Amino acid sequence: MAVPVRTKSRRRQQVEQAALYPLDWLEERSGLVGATKYFLFRKVPGDISWGHTLGSATLTAFLVQTITGVILAMYYRPDPDSAYESIQHLTNEVTLGWLVRGMHRWGASVFIILMFFHMARVFLFGAYKYPRELNWIVGALLLILGMFEGFTGYLLPWDQTAYWATIVGVNLQGTGPFVGPFLVNVLNGGAEIGVDTLARFYAIHMLLLPGAIFALIGLHLWLVIRLGVTSQPWSPEAAGAGEPEGPKPAREGLVRQSRGGGSE
Amino acid sequence: MSVQRRNPQGPPGSAKHFPGKKSPRVLQREAQFKQYKADVQARGKPFYPWAMFHDTVMSLVVVIVIIGLACVWYFTSGENPEDAGWLGPRYAEPADPGTTTFVPRPDWYFYFLFYLLRIFKWPDSVILGTVGIPTLLMIILFALPFLDVRRERRIIRRPVAATALVLTAVSMGVLTYKGAAAEEATAAGEETFDQIMAAQNLPEEARPGLELYFQSGCTGCHTYAGEGSSNLGAPDLTAIGSQQGKDAAYFQRYVANPREFGNEVMPVYQTLGEENLQALAEFLEASKGGG
Amino acid sequence: MEQHGPEPQPHAPPPSLWPVGFAVGVAVLLTGVVVGWLVAAIGATIALVFGFLWVRDVTGRAPHAGKPPPPVGARAATEAGHALPLADEGEIERFPRSRFLEGATLGLGGLIGGLITVPVAGLAIVPTFVGQKHEDVDVGPLEAFPENEWQVVTFMEDPSEGEVSRRTAFVRSNGELQGQPSLTILSNRCAHLGCPVQAAGPLDEAQKETVETSNTVVTRIPANPAAFACPCHGGAYDTEGNVTAGPPVRALDRYAYEIRNGRVFLTGAYSVGKVEGEGKDAVITKYDLMNPGLHVDGPSSLLYPIGPPR
Repeated sequence: MAVPVRTKSRRRQQVEQAALYPLDWLEERSGLVGATKYFLFRKVPGDISWGHTLGSATLTAFLVQTITGVILAMYYRPDPDSAYESIQHLTNEVTLGWLVRGMHRWGASVFIILMFFHMARVFLFGAYKYPRELNWIVGALLLILGMFEGFTGYLLPWDQTAYWATIVGVNLQGTGPFVGPFLVNVLNGGAEIGVDTLARFYAIHMLLLPGAIFALIGLHLWLVIRLGVTSQPWSPEAAGAGEPEGPKPAREGLVRQSRGGGSE
Repeated sequence: MSVQRRNPQGPPGSAKHFPGKKSPRVLQREAQFKQYKADVQARGKPFYPWAMFHDTVMSLVVVIVIIGLACVWYFTSGENPEDAGWLGPRYAEPADPGTTTFVPRPDWYFYFLFYLLRIFKWPDSVILGTVGIPTLLMIILFALPFLDVRRERRIIRRPVAATALVLTAVSMGVLTYKGAAAEEATAAGEETFDQIMAAQNLPEEARPGLELYFQSGCTGCHTYAGEGSSNLGAPDLTAIGSQQGKDAAYFQRYVANPREFGNEVMPVYQTLGEENLQALAEFLEASKGGG
Repeated sequence: MEQHGPEPQPHAPPPSLWPVGFAVGVAVLLTGVVVGWLVAAIGATIALVFGFLWVRDVTGRAPHAGKPPPPVGARAATEAGHALPLADEGEIERFPRSRFLEGATLGLGGLIGGLITVPVAGLAIVPTFVGQKHEDVDVGPLEAFPENEWQVVTFMEDPSEGEVSRRTAFVRSNGELQGQPSLTILSNRCAHLGCPVQAAGPLDEAQKETVETSNTVVTRIPANPAAFACPCHGGAYDTEGNVTAGPPVRALDRYAYEIRNGRVFLTGAYSVGKVEGEGKDAVITKYDLMNPGLHVDGPSSLLYPIGPPR
């Protein structure tokens, strides 16, 4: 028995066609519309949890950082003699400057916390195992880069906290065997923290690291889309659960082999 | 290098590109992944709107938290670096490379490393705390998927992973907390002295000693009335005067030469001079923790 | 007649560059009209030469004029009946252009990459190692440092860099050693990780002086430290800079000094292993200046065999 379908009025059809025409135009020439539809309507396991939202929450925090950072760059002056004043001016006098600066400063902490939580969730779910090993490595790299972003950004206000925390942090890296002292020179822009250090840290913080982080996030998301999101391992209807067909591994014995009893 | 016009092994990505026999383990995990894909196709839900809804809600929470923190931080603090609010000051004093009074601290997410440095206080072990342990942990972090090759994903059946997770979380939490709580030996001003005089019920004669105490670097290792930092096992001195057998004469001798009393760690303050040592001693004797 | 190939068209000259050369010559000539006669002459010559060659080509007196262009590979093969072919092995050997082109592409690409990366990476790294020497700093007349009294002195280590180079030192005059004034000048950067070390003793803020010397602004505060203590991780030093407690890995760094015309000049800093003795009799084991946290002696110093130039 066919399901009755409401026939659309001719007018409605015309409107829909008009709306769809630009999308078709774009799709024929670039394939972007199809890609977006694939991303949006792809299937994910039906039993994913709130824990799975941590990844996108981290991305949101990073986007907040990027956008607020770009705006802050319009007011910040990366020179030891004027950096502090520019921060004071921005915080106290510029309309809504306090809000954007506050969002950037606290967004950094939130970003780092969320990265750790996301990492813990992935670890808990065993979602770093085959075939997602590469994604874990990319994620670990993002963690390191994110913390380095925090370290370089900390210097920018050029107040006491910033200056001395950076000195200790750079010297800490200098204790690495063999290359430590050279690393200190490269980071400091000289033998000691000086006129070049602030500009160097600014360039690293604004350009080098965000570029790398964006590229890696792109790779990270691509891998998630390609490899799929994992189910909760203990969920009764986990995707991939149950014994798959195929040869069993030869080894039996005292150690209880997990023959894929968990879900994929 | 010869130009290969035809690829006899088949298009890249196909199994023919990397010929060789696959072990049963590899075949099984590939089969399982295939099963997973099939399950998702059969029973999965579209990302939009099911998963994306949850993601959006969580992202909204994140943005609201960030804005909330920014507002609290701004509205509870003032333009002056000393007007710190609930979430700290808007900025500290301008950078002073020649300072002798500032106590450096990193951002909170580095507190665990910071406290690690306080743990490794023997000169030869410093490198362990600065680069040794962090590097080792980083290597384990990156190599994790190759260290744990079992396919089991339920945490109940992964005792090593569960232990590692709990241990890591707890130790990072403890180290971060201790780093945060590590008190700072900041310079004190008149108000601090007034407060302490009142809070500790100190007699007026103890005031010169109190000021000297703060100027002589004692706060670098000792805590007193909530000020100062605790380093190298130095005891809290708030109620030191109420301990048995410790009077001004005792304190004067001790501070002048701690070596006499078996203390190899504390600096020798002989050169402060009789007058200063006496003032300090009177102050310590009067410190009976009377609050 | 048997088959013709395609009708011979009115002869189209093979592709050539002579018109381009002619155009270049004309352009240079016109430029020369503005710039100078020499340029114009050069332009005229080029235009004449290329123009001659062009005309010769067009009028068919060039050696290969008259023949139809040799068939391009695809056309030949098509005429022979194959589908769009791949170059066969024989052709590859006879025309190793593909290999040449591959090699050239990779080689040139590598060259471009190098040309861009080397200066850029060089700029990021090399200047941080060269030109690190400072000029000598004048911290005041010798009389400003009374004998056996400590002063907390701040100065700009590199006056050309401004306030960012301000450093603090603990200075004490020790009288004279073999006719020369002896000073103990300790850096206040902790040898553990660089935190600012504090004097363990009262500072006489009321007597603080801020003085402009010949190349920097110096502040001096008399002090009476019994020792030096670092608040970060509990490092402690005695009055010669030796470590008495805590994690610092060596003694406090010192500044070398010279007395010129009765004024004290700081000529550079150095690291210290250990100091035996006190004051003017102190025997100091001296090392090149190293970053905080690096051992200068003992087995751990093998981890840092060479340091960057200072």
